[in-house]
Amino acid sequence: MSGDRVGIIGIGQSKFTARRDDASYPDLVREAVVTAMNDAGLTFDDLQGVVYSLSPDAMVGIGNAERLGVDAVGAGNKRFLRINTGGATGISSVAAAYYHIASGACDVVLTAGADKVGECGDSQTVLNKIWDPTYERQLPLGTINMLAMSGVRYMNVYGMTEEDMALVTVKNRRQAYLNPNAHLRTLVTVEDVFASRYICWPLKLLDCCPQSSGGGAMVLASEKFIKDRKLEAVWITGLAHCSETYWLGDRMGRNPEADHADAFALGRSFQRAYKMAGITDPFKQVHVAELYAPFSNTEYHSIDAAGFAERGASVAMMREGQFELGGRLPVNPSGGTLCTNAIAVTAMIRVAEVALQVWGRAGRHQVKGARVGIASGNGGDHQFFGTMVVEA
Amino acid sequence: MAYKVQPGVIGCAIRPAIAGNDRSLEEILYETTQQALNDAGVTIDDIDGIVVGCNDQLDGRAISVMMASGPVGGVDRDILSTPSGSEHAFILGALRVATGQFRTQLVVAWSPTEASSIPEAERLAADPYFHRRLPLDELAAHAMQAGVLENAVAGIGDLAEAVAEKNRRHGAIAYPDPPVRSQPGPARWPLAAGTTTMPVTGCVAMVLGTADFIAEHGLADVAWVRGMGWATEPSFLGDRDLGTAPALQAAARQAYGEAGITDPTGQLDVVEITDATPYAELLAYEALGLCDRNDWAARVRDGSFTHEGRLPVNLSGGVQTFNPVFCTGLIRIAEIANQVRGRAGAHQRRTVRSGLAQAASGFAMQYQAAIVFGNEKGARA
Repeated sequence: MSGDRVGIIGIGQSKFTARRDDASYPDLVREAVVTAMNDAGLTFDDLQGVVYSLSPDAMVGIGNAERLGVDAVGAGNKRFLRINTGGATGISSVAAAYYHIASGACDVVLTAGADKVGECGDSQTVLNKIWDPTYERQLPLGTINMLAMSGVRYMNVYGMTEEDMALVTVKNRRQAYLNPNAHLRTLVTVEDVFASRYICWPLKLLDCCPQSSGGGAMVLASEKFIKDRKLEAVWITGLAHCSETYWLGDRMGRNPEADHADAFALGRSFQRAYKMAGITDPFKQVHVAELYAPFSNTEYHSIDAAGFAERGASVAMMREGQFELGGRLPVNPSGGTLCTNAIAVTAMIRVAEVALQVWGRAGRHQVKGARVGIASGNGGDHQFFGTMVVEA
Repeated sequence: MAYKVQPGVIGCAIRPAIAGNDRSLEEILYETTQQALNDAGVTIDDIDGIVVGCNDQLDGRAISVMMASGPVGGVDRDILSTPSGSEHAFILGALRVATGQFRTQLVVAWSPTEASSIPEAERLAADPYFHRRLPLDELAAHAMQAGVLENAVAGIGDLAEAVAEKNRRHGAIAYPDPPVRSQPGPARWPLAAGTTTMPVTGCVAMVLGTADFIAEHGLADVAWVRGMGWATEPSFLGDRDLGTAPALQAAARQAYGEAGITDPTGQLDVVEITDATPYAELLAYEALGLCDRNDWAARVRDGSFTHEGRLPVNLSGGVQTFNPVFCTGLIRIAEIANQVRGRAGAHQRRTVRSGLAQAASGFAMQYQAAIVFGNEKGARA
């Protein structure tokens, strides 16, 4: 193997919950950072840079809130910058930390952040402000009705039903039940999903992610540093980003640039990451996936985009249990974004969970024999997509 | 060079003081991007990735990078965003080129003035429990820093006015139109009338490439990145000595170490400093190793840093000449890249082989960056 790889050597995450009245925003960041630094066995003197992971400032009610997190991440007089690509921010931050090391600029970089979505009042009020103030903001759009429209389109094109959506919730809750850090861990049935109130047809309450509070942190290092210090690591072997148009209308109607049913740019991003990692047949070569899917319906087009199924074929495969823990290719064994969504770090947790899986450290939701995993993050109005391949 | 692949700047577009309301932000971004691509002699099809620097509070959008997808060519491309500072967009773009995994990067930043009150937007960045009611905006933080320096250095007020006057003189050559709009009257004590400038709308774009890309496309006039340093000071103003700039010292150490600079005044030909106030420029002289505070008075009086001097600082006129708040850092970097490329226009210094850009952002220069460019590939300064 090349000596230029970038490894993950430390991981920290909160036990996510709706509220953390016991911890300020910087406290939450610090909680994850301390766990990750202890996991890596490093001190803050070893850190050469920090990438701060924070999506909309308005979610924590502080402009450029990363400035208040500088001390929590131990970045005083060190390299420091912040990333924001909306919901993709967490995986984009891991990517930025990767570039610090892969460029040769640094040997050890921390990426960290936190969110208090559960304490922001109403995340959808904040997220309405992502749309164009002149043309779209007053509709009023939110990320729920935005992805409900995607669900409607997916139903129309590929035959997904509301019961198929409920199957995703049931699966992910069952898996979150095994993950002590997940926010929603209560087991539910298809009937429970159908009995929950409609938020925006076809999405019912149990088809939707929670508003979570908590932090995440990861320590990355160069292969040379890892070998010199004789550290344990897993490796980032492929990564990419790709974005779609800002305008939802350009994904609809006749001859759309990219159909709103699908996740066109997510697919492109995965293709680039796979190429870098040398993956040519993802369904055969990948053992575990953590795909950013905040609503039950979006797990289907994410699975399609990851190349595990032809477009729309993921629905039948889900019915067969292929994406269950214990199935052919487990998707979101942590319970995924559907069970935990602290937006600033949600996509980082996808990478962290895949890293734990290929490391063999995922605990009760471990996928047996996992050596190759993939993660994704979605941000903006289903616009920015980051993907990563992590290998043992 | 610490980097696996040395990045080179091949295109720049600086849009100073965009006046009037006849252009949407999308149009401004599109035009600036195209201008930078034309300057580089490439098209958007040549661009592998994009890094955007923009700020949600000033834009009035919750994820301000979203709007940029179309006008900067982000659709179906790898695009990231650094809301912490426009200079951070350059740094991340350069790091991506330096991995060798990207052949090119486009870096874009902007700063609008449509917010009903920029100070109100800036006040949202203060800690909500302890500091927000002060009220603390960026100009107030700069004034606190100036106050600390007033207390530490006798006669610094006169020096600050001289530095501001120098930058206005430079700006009259570099960007004569439109005229500078100073803050009306004393902005915040002790910032005297005429030493700080009203915010304007601005936009800046840069194109970076690898040596292989540059050679294959036969591109000339390259500013090679020789060293980059960036660092931050602690979160709370109360935890900082505002009369010093330790994060800038750290950033300079990183950049100079990579570039092989041991004698900045002897090895650099031109410098751009983010002079949000002239006090900030003086403090940067010291932290960058250009001039100790004991020599500030002598160097300001002998004109060392004027366009006729040994080491011109802010030939562009600096922030004193135009102040698009959020993108002032990336403009400093683009100005030095253009000086090294020999494409700075009316304020081009004759024979520039090496230059330094300093960027600062946040309350009282919390974030600091130093970028060293040279006109010879691979060479240390």
